[in-house]
Amino acid sequence: MTKAKTFGGGIHPRYNKERTLNLPIVDAVVPKELVFPLSQHIGAPCQPLVKVGERVLKGQKIADSDAPISAPIHSSVSGQVVAIEKRPHCSGQDTMAIVVSNDGLDEEAVPASTGTSIENVPADEIVRIVREAGIVGMGGAGFPTHYKMVPPAGTKVEMVVLNGAECEPYLTADYRLMMEESEQVVLGLRLLMKALGADKGCIGVEEDKSEAIAALKQAREAFPDIEVIPLQVKYPQGSEFMLIRAITGKELPVGRLPAELGVIVNNVATAVAVANAVTTGKPLVERVVTVSGSMVERPQNLRVRLGTPVGALLEQCGLKGQPGKVIKGGPMMGVTLANLDVPVIKTTCGLLALSPEEAEPLEISPCIRCGRCVDVCPMRLQPVFIAQFVERGMLEQAEAYNATDCRECGCCSYICPARRPLVQNIRLAKSAILAKRRK
Amino acid sequence: MEQSKLRMSSSPHQHARENTSRIMLEVLMALVPAATLAVFFFGLRALGLMLVAVVAAVATEALLQKLSGRPVTIRDYSAAVTGLLVAFGVPAGLPLWIVAIGAAIAIAIGKQVFGGLGNNPFNPALVGRAVLLASWPAQMTTWVAPFTFLTSATPLGGGARPAYSTLFLGAVPGSLGETSALALLVGGLYLIWRGIIDWRIPVGFVGTVAVFSAVFGGDPLFHVLAGSLLLGAFFMATDPVTSPMTSWGRLIMGVGCGLITAIIRLWGGYPEGVTYAILIMNAFTPLIDRYVRPVRFGAARK
Amino acid sequence: MVNFIKEFSKGLIKENPTFGLLLGMCPTLAVTTAAVNGLGMGLATAAVLTASNLLISIIRNVVPNKIRIPIYVVVIATFVTIVDMVMEAFVPDLHQVLGLFIPLIVVNCIILQRAEAFASQNGILDSIADGLGMGLGFTGALTLLGGIREILGAGSLFGIKLFGEGFQPMLIMILTPGGLMTLGLLIALLNYLRMRRTA
Repeated sequence: MTKAKTFGGGIHPRYNKERTLNLPIVDAVVPKELVFPLSQHIGAPCQPLVKVGERVLKGQKIADSDAPISAPIHSSVSGQVVAIEKRPHCSGQDTMAIVVSNDGLDEEAVPASTGTSIENVPADEIVRIVREAGIVGMGGAGFPTHYKMVPPAGTKVEMVVLNGAECEPYLTADYRLMMEESEQVVLGLRLLMKALGADKGCIGVEEDKSEAIAALKQAREAFPDIEVIPLQVKYPQGSEFMLIRAITGKELPVGRLPAELGVIVNNVATAVAVANAVTTGKPLVERVVTVSGSMVERPQNLRVRLGTPVGALLEQCGLKGQPGKVIKGGPMMGVTLANLDVPVIKTTCGLLALSPEEAEPLEISPCIRCGRCVDVCPMRLQPVFIAQFVERGMLEQAEAYNATDCRECGCCSYICPARRPLVQNIRLAKSAILAKRRK
Repeated sequence: MEQSKLRMSSSPHQHARENTSRIMLEVLMALVPAATLAVFFFGLRALGLMLVAVVAAVATEALLQKLSGRPVTIRDYSAAVTGLLVAFGVPAGLPLWIVAIGAAIAIAIGKQVFGGLGNNPFNPALVGRAVLLASWPAQMTTWVAPFTFLTSATPLGGGARPAYSTLFLGAVPGSLGETSALALLVGGLYLIWRGIIDWRIPVGFVGTVAVFSAVFGGDPLFHVLAGSLLLGAFFMATDPVTSPMTSWGRLIMGVGCGLITAIIRLWGGYPEGVTYAILIMNAFTPLIDRYVRPVRFGAARK
Repeated sequence: MVNFIKEFSKGLIKENPTFGLLLGMCPTLAVTTAAVNGLGMGLATAAVLTASNLLISIIRNVVPNKIRIPIYVVVIATFVTIVDMVMEAFVPDLHQVLGLFIPLIVVNCIILQRAEAFASQNGILDSIADGLGMGLGFTGALTLLGGIREILGAGSLFGIKLFGEGFQPMLIMILTPGGLMTLGLLIALLNYLRMRRTA
């Protein structure tokens, strides 16, 4: 047996996935009021297409934009628009959102049997369907998927890679999806390949998820151009850069597009959304969210309507007490939430409630120059030096040490025995350097 | 649930268990075999020297930090490691007050004057040892034989050449913690296995000494087992603060230490050169870190 | 008179040539292995400094600006030669120990610096005060350094044994590293005291 593929550097955090690993996806409660922020993706925010007081149906497009990098937003319930105003958003700032009061009827905007099949759908139609369905990268980045499906002129995409390496601790949403909807994952991959004219498809899955690998292998049986590739269990295997490195052996320089290497990467959840959009004609209105963490009584993998406030999910799963931190996403790259009215959006893959002890601020001690951060950095940076330059305000030096290459995976801060805020400082450097470059 | 009690912070929200004090504690544990054998060979006197050195180092650290109004960080065990390593580098017959001064100087001049842990350019324990060697050369080179306590020369210093097995076990005259290759290997391999130290430094160091002495007509096995080579290679050259941060840098450090040691041993004025070799390579560490850098991701091989 | 005292006292502590201005490091480190060496070197330097300050202050208005440095050096060298000969005649033992460092006072930067920075711009009395103050400050610093190094490195002070037979001197203190360490720690101590005063 050949050794599972991987990349250089990386860490082995405590994965804490056991609690939700074997729990099938169940439907979450649908709340009385849902909030749809106009910005759920990377790119231009949408403009509302509906007015306050108007009745909307489930799957009805309620906001859209003319900008090329953007994706429309659909209502996930039927009901009435009660407000279009600023509401809390997981970015920490209040942003414009459409608020819909749920009438509980779930009246569909799209008639049944609207869908088509892969044989009957032309390539450019797939791109149009994906755009209209509002599909964005669901692994967390939120880049509009249709935009990636039209490679820049002069490039030819040979391989579509599906990212099934759910390397963040706690999260099991993608794993459950690969287990329960492996046919849809493979169908989504075939649709992406067809749209891009790619000859090869790969699904990268961490090797310890042997059941998911087996399910996917069975689902792709009839398609010899699709391969399921076991990957070493290591964080951040799910980073686009590391996944391409592991599967193709090529390193993508920061600032270049994967298409230049002939590769496109999409999350498995995105592939499922693509498959659903084509076969049913229905847009993206729900997603799977892992709710976990030490303060959660009944951790679960929930199928959640977009727009559901995270507080409702925590209530459904039960809390053991006052959490110290609530995180959207995983513990390595997720953001802390100050307000539990923040709704689930297209990029919410997990929701964690950590105990007050786990949330204690860390005691920072002096750097002992051990070099562990250099050893683990998957981008082969020297976090210790960049962070020191930032602390001393030496931005040009930080730039010379390629601070802008940092993908903010957090391996350096995770491993640092002195608990120094390395990635936090590098983030500061990055935003300052990028701000200076824009001038 | 109160939302106001939710802490906000920048990711990551999870951290490795290993911290500075754990690392230092592991190093102390790895030194236990050598310390035990030192007591076995050189009696309670060895235990006394080690205790005095550790207490002196920790007390100096606490005192200086208190005086300079900085937080007292003796709980990170780094001062204890330094103290023990100072004791490991002295002969069993040394007066207790001299080892105490050595440990105090190691912390004061070797570490705290530069701003404490992480800022010292040289390995503090070796600074202490170098000062002791320059200050009390007679006492620092009056070696005693194990068990008998009779004054005798070390194998490297022209004394009788024992069998390899004796040398390996460590029943030879020498500094407290350096004689037993067996105990040092056990501790050193433990540290490598635990990921506390990088194998490149000891392997580069020991390998270079072996190859170099073989090429110039020496006995490589003897040169590896004798003197403080293994102590230096596993526990001193690997000090994180004073060794390079990249894998290649560490290999250069190891090979450099090995070269200087071999040159001093073969042609230098001293019988042993490990201390000075490591101190000299410590001085090169910032330079190595400046020039030996990882290749930028995506920039290599097309 | 107030001015005289001011100019005299500044060299003792505040602008001490060794600890404050870090001038004349070469003799400082080389000869301070014992207190008496430090004292002798310091006094010799003080004598040259005072005399050269005096003479340069007198001739300051007639010296052409372009060739002032060679002239200062000639003046200084004259006094150094005198001091050298006087010491050889009256304290031959000390002269033997200090050896080359006495003639080297010619190029001691304290003296040239005081000539250039002070004596060439100030009156005679002030220049004498400056030379005396700086000279005695230098003497004090060298004696202190020499004293500390002698006590630790040889167990004596001005040649008098301080400890019993059991004392084993710390040889490094009378070697160059000991000089550097003592000097560094003394400067650090003075800076610390100064910081506490201003704080």
